[in-house]
Amino acid sequence: MKSRFALTLLSLWAVLTLNFLLPRWLPGDPLAALLDPDSSSYVYNAEVRGALEAYYGLDRPLGEQYAGYLTGALSGDLGRSIRLNQPVTDLLREHLPWTLLLTLSALIAASLLGVIAGSEAAWRRRSPVDRALVVVSVVASNAPVFFTGMILLILFGVELRWLPLAGGRTPFARYDNTLAQVRDYGAHLLLPALTLTLALVGSKFLLVRNSVIGVLGEDFMLVARAKGLPPRRLKRNHALRNAIVPFVHHLAAHAAFAITGALFIETLFQYPGMGRLIFESVVARDYPVIQGVFLVVSVLVLGANLLADWLTARLDPRTQEN
Amino acid sequence: MTAPLLAVENLRVTFALPDDPHTAIRAVDGVSFDLAAGQSLAIVGETGSGKTTLARALLGLHPAGAVAGNIRLDGRELTALDEQGWRPIRWRRIALAVQNAGTAFDPVQRAGDQIAEPLREHLGLSGSDAWARALDLAGEMGLGERHLRSYPHQLSGGEKQRLMLAMALSCAPDILIVDEPTSGQDMLTRAKMLALLDRVRQDTGISLLLISHDLAAVARLADRVAVLYAGKLAEVGPARDVLQRPRHPYTWGLLNAYPNMSTARDLRGVRGGLPDPAHPPAGCRFHPRCTQAVDECRRVDPPLQPVRDRLVACHLGGLQTLLRVDRIAKTFSLNGNGFRVEAVRDASLDVLEGEVVAVIGETGSGKTTLGRLVAGMLDPESGAIAFREQDVSDLSGAALKSVRRQVQLIPQDPFDTVSPRLTVAEIVREPLDVQRIGAPADRVAAVREALAAVGLPDGDSFLTRRPHELSGGQLQRVVIARALVLEPKLIVADEPVSMLDASEQAKLINLLKDIQNERGMGLLLISHDVALVRKVADRIVVMRDGAIVESGPASRVVTRPQHAYTRALLGAAPSFDWFEDPGPASGA
Repeated sequence: MKSRFALTLLSLWAVLTLNFLLPRWLPGDPLAALLDPDSSSYVYNAEVRGALEAYYGLDRPLGEQYAGYLTGALSGDLGRSIRLNQPVTDLLREHLPWTLLLTLSALIAASLLGVIAGSEAAWRRRSPVDRALVVVSVVASNAPVFFTGMILLILFGVELRWLPLAGGRTPFARYDNTLAQVRDYGAHLLLPALTLTLALVGSKFLLVRNSVIGVLGEDFMLVARAKGLPPRRLKRNHALRNAIVPFVHHLAAHAAFAITGALFIETLFQYPGMGRLIFESVVARDYPVIQGVFLVVSVLVLGANLLADWLTARLDPRTQEN
Repeated sequence: MTAPLLAVENLRVTFALPDDPHTAIRAVDGVSFDLAAGQSLAIVGETGSGKTTLARALLGLHPAGAVAGNIRLDGRELTALDEQGWRPIRWRRIALAVQNAGTAFDPVQRAGDQIAEPLREHLGLSGSDAWARALDLAGEMGLGERHLRSYPHQLSGGEKQRLMLAMALSCAPDILIVDEPTSGQDMLTRAKMLALLDRVRQDTGISLLLISHDLAAVARLADRVAVLYAGKLAEVGPARDVLQRPRHPYTWGLLNAYPNMSTARDLRGVRGGLPDPAHPPAGCRFHPRCTQAVDECRRVDPPLQPVRDRLVACHLGGLQTLLRVDRIAKTFSLNGNGFRVEAVRDASLDVLEGEVVAVIGETGSGKTTLGRLVAGMLDPESGAIAFREQDVSDLSGAALKSVRRQVQLIPQDPFDTVSPRLTVAEIVREPLDVQRIGAPADRVAAVREALAAVGLPDGDSFLTRRPHELSGGQLQRVVIARALVLEPKLIVADEPVSMLDASEQAKLINLLKDIQNERGMGLLLISHDVALVRKVADRIVVMRDGAIVESGPASRVVTRPQHAYTRALLGAAPSFDWFEDPGPASGA
């Protein structure tokens, strides 16, 4: 576990360094990367460009720049957005909670669904229920999110009018109490979260199903059955308990996918999360923001993996050794 | 007699192949046996014979519909039970210690919790009571709290094996099924396991169903043995009798293949392999591998029926007694002076199918006369010689001729018995010509086959050679080929290798044994060479001055000779032991 932690720190450093080097590797000077000659904000005056370079510290040696960058990044200074002229950290602080709300609720829902359906399907392997679930999950996980999202939007937002069409909350709304606030946020969250859940649940279902099938074939499951244990105990205490270990790792690897998947969905539903921030920054070639997002997503994935390792060590005593 | 604790009747377990649902595999096919309270029954057989499938059927672990027939526990029918109905039987009445204890434990749960689990389930113990009971059980196995608190991967194989046993015994079941308790273990661990099982049996009075191919373990633990072959029982009987005097040819083959310290004899596998379970052979399932199979064996499946002290599934009642010599005697009168030499006195011996019986003794002890009497070259003055349970003296005409054909003699000195003028082909073909067997073309084919069987070239250049062009070893092989060409059931080999050097001897004696293993027949090996004989003989008969002074299993005669003359013979046998033993080489 200690070595895993050290490895995570090392990865973090690599991510930071890459983030520092990438714009400097791009053709032209970093400023050219910052300010696109095609964009309206391009500075044609060479003198002004030089002043800007000095302002951004680009005339200093690379090592000095790197040290400055590292201290800045670690103290929470990720530069300023060129498009919005706001500190990147402020932008992240504004958008990240929305994305976390969306991805976490979708991840939790998809995990619960995947685990329950997956272990039941494995238990009833080759039954009609199992076969139907496999087909549905393959279709659901391969359908593009904008497609499923659009259908849900048309159905529940346009036709039935049960749920709001866009946004993360009702604009300019004032809430009398917390409950009303939760209800409003929840109503806006429901469709994007459902879309993301559908995209995520298939692979989780298949993974859990296959892991449980693998475990069911093990000798110790036969012994557990021979011990006359009730099916509930067989499923929960032995089969699922063993199958959950690969699932936790899958979940960590899936964290990145959940965030990128959220990108499309947030755009579709006009959800105020990171997805929209990324989308708009890419369109405007707002590199500091893109770099900041890259850093945050990397840190999230690294954190998720570290958490998964820690969880695995809890769940599987065999990994505690060495 | 009270009803047995467990009665299995006509049990059948059928599986469909996963990728071919129309091909049914009958892994267990009509097995019946009883297990009385406190008794121990061993089910033995090769890997793939259906042993484990049978064990699992007794716990209802197969998918619904796979098992047919009856399993009765205390008179209660179990096969009709559903999963829910089986649960109170499992572990509480019948527990299973699986073959591989290494994988029998859930890797993410502590061993102790897994032992306590059925106690809570079946006996309704609280968590702490169940743990305390698990601790008791572990204590009986020589293990403690530390082991219970360990996860399976932290335990050694032997510890897991013992914890598996503790787990199986946790609910004090009536019947314990132990699947291969000793497989894959080193000899010391194995010995400890057997001692433990033995003690458990004595302490608890549990009924033991031992599934094993470890015949020595079976001999130690089982009261009765049931031999399973390709899903059917071949032989059932008291353990001691079955293992010492097997009746079914398969049991005999298994015992010959089993390495043990009781004999110096070489190991012989059962020829061929297990049949394809999806397409078992018609008739007796063992017939393709059986050396004594007759036509009926290919057509009719033999039922398990009583043969003397046990049950045997064989049309011939098990291994045939090929030769029974009953108190025969032969005297020769020395010309003129009226002295009579009693060459053979009151000699009795049997040779079974597949068996090598060695007759040993010094020159002049009557061995050769005995061999000639058996081969029909001399007639006994009294007593009887029966071949395949038929008294030879009762036979005449075609019947006698057939017996003569089936008993062949390999003489001591090959140069004495072949005409120097004949070619190899003529020598080997001679018996066929004399007995007028087959068309001339078939005879040549038979000659070539016989030569190939003894490892000689069967090309034309070799067939036209004459005895003086051959080495002693080659000529002796030609003589063996001549005996084999008639497809005999009994070969009397009189000092077949005594004229040869040690290397040729070894090759030839192994050849004879190989031929026997492949073709199946009795071999009466007459020899003065104890050292050689003990490598191949199943039984040894010791002759002195025309009388048999001692006979018994080769291992017993060699290791614990009863008669002073046997001891003398053994003492004179060649040995390298008189080099002083320098002890283990000391490191330089």
